[in-house]
Amino acid sequence: MPQQEPLTVLASVDLRRAEALTDVLREMREDPAHNPVLPFGALRGWHFGRVLYLPPATGLEGEPLPPKLLLLGDCDGSARAQLEALVDVGGTNLDRLFGACEGYPSSPSRAARLAFLRKKSVATKANYVHRQGRTVEQILGERELRRALREFVARERLDGVPALEARRRIRAFVRETPRLRWALEPPPPLPLSFRAKNALHATTLPLGLLAFGPAIVPAVLFLLLLVRLEELRDEPEHLRPTPEHVHALTELEDWYAHNGFTAGGFVKPGWVRQAVIRSVLPLIGWGTRHLFTRDSLAGVKTIHFARWIPLDDYRRVVFASNYDGSLESYNNDFIDLVAWGLNLVFSNGLGYPKTRWLLFGGATLEQEFKDFLRRHQIPTPVWYSAYPDLTAVNIERNAELRAGLSGFMNERKAKEWLRLL
Amino acid sequence: MAQAALKAWPTGVKGKKNLPPLTGDKLVRECGLPIAELAVDAADVQGLVFRGYGALPECCYPLLRIEEPERGRAFVRAIVDRVSRGVPAARTVAVQIAFTSLGLSALGLPQSILQQFSRPFLEGMVGAHRSRFLGDTGESSPKRWEWGGPSTPPVHVLLMLFAESAPRLEELLAEMRRTWEAHGLSEIRILRTNPALLGKEHFGFADGISQPAIEGYHPVSSRLHLVKPGEFLLGYVNEYGLYTERPLVEAALDPFGSLPLDVEGSPRRDLGRNGTYLVFRQLRQNVVAFRETLDALTRNPDGSPNRQAREYLAARMVGRWPSGASLVEAPHGDDPTKARNNLFRYHHEDRDGLKCPIGAHVRRANPRDALAPHPGSERSLEVNRRHRLLRRGRTYGPELAPDAVDGEDRGLMFIALNANIVRQFEFVQHSWLVDPRFNGLYGEADPIVGMDEQNAFTATIDPVPVRCTGLPRFVTVVGGAYFFMPGIRALRFLGRLPTDTKASS
Repeated sequence: MPQQEPLTVLASVDLRRAEALTDVLREMREDPAHNPVLPFGALRGWHFGRVLYLPPATGLEGEPLPPKLLLLGDCDGSARAQLEALVDVGGTNLDRLFGACEGYPSSPSRAARLAFLRKKSVATKANYVHRQGRTVEQILGERELRRALREFVARERLDGVPALEARRRIRAFVRETPRLRWALEPPPPLPLSFRAKNALHATTLPLGLLAFGPAIVPAVLFLLLLVRLEELRDEPEHLRPTPEHVHALTELEDWYAHNGFTAGGFVKPGWVRQAVIRSVLPLIGWGTRHLFTRDSLAGVKTIHFARWIPLDDYRRVVFASNYDGSLESYNNDFIDLVAWGLNLVFSNGLGYPKTRWLLFGGATLEQEFKDFLRRHQIPTPVWYSAYPDLTAVNIERNAELRAGLSGFMNERKAKEWLRLL
Repeated sequence: MAQAALKAWPTGVKGKKNLPPLTGDKLVRECGLPIAELAVDAADVQGLVFRGYGALPECCYPLLRIEEPERGRAFVRAIVDRVSRGVPAARTVAVQIAFTSLGLSALGLPQSILQQFSRPFLEGMVGAHRSRFLGDTGESSPKRWEWGGPSTPPVHVLLMLFAESAPRLEELLAEMRRTWEAHGLSEIRILRTNPALLGKEHFGFADGISQPAIEGYHPVSSRLHLVKPGEFLLGYVNEYGLYTERPLVEAALDPFGSLPLDVEGSPRRDLGRNGTYLVFRQLRQNVVAFRETLDALTRNPDGSPNRQAREYLAARMVGRWPSGASLVEAPHGDDPTKARNNLFRYHHEDRDGLKCPIGAHVRRANPRDALAPHPGSERSLEVNRRHRLLRRGRTYGPELAPDAVDGEDRGLMFIALNANIVRQFEFVQHSWLVDPRFNGLYGEADPIVGMDEQNAFTATIDPVPVRCTGLPRFVTVVGGAYFFMPGIRALRFLGRLPTDTKASS
């Protein structure tokens, strides 16, 4: 099974051509899966996709920040290969989408488009995948499996049958049904090369700490002290989002089992926050890659994918995720389960609720935190999901159902497994 | 000094029932304690927050419209002394009053103050996103509502009248009508309730059993249902240890000093304190469809009805037996001796929903300790306490005799009180009741109030889950609005709003 990689294309937009771009985005939003510009549904192995336009802004020191176009994909296999697929599927239509970007080839060929997209691709510092190795194909297949098994169980009246016998009949049904037979085998493991690379990467943090620990520890403590001093001076204003902004966001929300979340903001001025954000993102990247790899981001089980993207050389940061249920429940999970994690990154953002020692306070100031996120949220009309009816927990249960088709079980285990149906 | 101050706090009020308790402000002056640490200022809170008036079975809800600000304020001034407070408890009749945001605006409350109320209250219960979110679609769509919808007259004021007998209620209603007519308010409609069905709903089940208890007011024996007052009253600490957002008023705008001080110490006055948001939804229950559906699902192989199986399936959909006994405590049959037991939890007793299905109505409306983080733990309950509601609804319409069929309108006047509509009512309604993927389920909205047209429900697990599919809608929303039910001092403030505040905003 291939791994999942984040695809990020980030390009500056020529202001003169920005208007035409908004028309293109409007066209795409009508039907993200099948629109003629970039039909996400035609891209094999794309779990989620979105396109964002960030209007021109003014930096904290008054410097102009050009408008940007951001294309994000959560894809099976390598992002490099997916970029090629993108060029093939998009074809000349990509010219309409990226034509407004600075540096886009004037007479684009396939190779020129690919070269442009490669050039504008950004390596992600911190990326979370709900379960590494679970492909779109597997998720959709296991959804079909559940449907078929539910129908079978209802048809055959398996209630009252001993659990092992029920399982035996279900397995026989799967074996006799050609379109389901694949499910008798567990999904193949991640490619060896990926696992080897990952294992190597896992050692970087502990090795780094070991090697540079004597220098790093005092440096971290010193930095933390400086952060604390800044925190004491920090008096963020509690502002509520405007009704118009909330309306622009809610219009796009709660149509499916999950929503796309995109938020962005400025990093607080000064080198201290720069140092913190530049070290925290790789640290989080390490954590999401090696610690939070089994269906839970520090206790939150409703996030499919999430990533942090620095913009303008870390003057701004964008956070993009795909979460189950409503924004309110997402925010509540943040506050109740992983406030420290949110604080670690977002408290470097301008206007974030007051924190203590980088980890405490902040998100636990419920209303202020929710208003902060809402205010920084960016409406994302062009957003695509390959399985809009499934929550991460649904996907997990479907995978367990499939896994239980193979291997040995006793009566008790079989009983537990049947409850997944 | 602090010790002495603490002792000054009247710990037991037993035997001193007629003694008015010290109010928050007075206690601060006399004991030097910050208000937050004190009990609830019940004399300034409308009594409905603390009690459902079970001893006053007769009840109706007039919906009114204010035609002119000054006359509306005169109405508030005329009625404020009739409004029932937390203490002393109303004995024979009770009057409560609440306003929509349009109503507050119609009284002349400046926009600068109004905009500080919570977003759903300001936006109202209807609106494309909110309707989608709350499941108010199809037959429940607001455009079909009998009141509170986009095509019906705007509601400004909700009166809630309670009385011990029918004549007393009519007397009270007549008196109130004289008052509102004298002040030029127009009557939109009077919502009537059925006194014979107190504590019971039309599908045949005891209702309103599980209620949170307000810390600082209700005496309780278990922490399970004990919730911080700030979850139900503005101006008090909530379950996050914080104050929920609430409208604060510059002292200059309160020249009569009607309002309490801001507990957080700003120089402003607290218009929200001792007030609460009241969620009102008129839910029509299709009892005939409910019975027929259950009947069809539980027939014997020979086609004859199976009454026992029908009752069992209904109980599993509700999560309780008709008496109110929980399926967790009485998994095999109704047990009226357990009707009032409300200390059960779900995780350790019934993790997989073998006794009480995961999708059962009461298990969704309040999952207790069943959800993350760490189901079965105190942490789970701690998070659960942030999503509790005080329910104060009443049944309306005639009871349908067993096996009878008619076309009468019947249902529930659903009333819930909470301090944060988004985190409490709307979260429960969307994430727990309407969402068909609640707690790992797939394609199963709440079997009783779930809004899906093609609903499903996993009734038993033996050993495979047995699902009922194609369940129709049993409950339709036919009216509703978000109200604010102010404290008594806030009412006085509203009644004395200066005439020209609108201009000053």
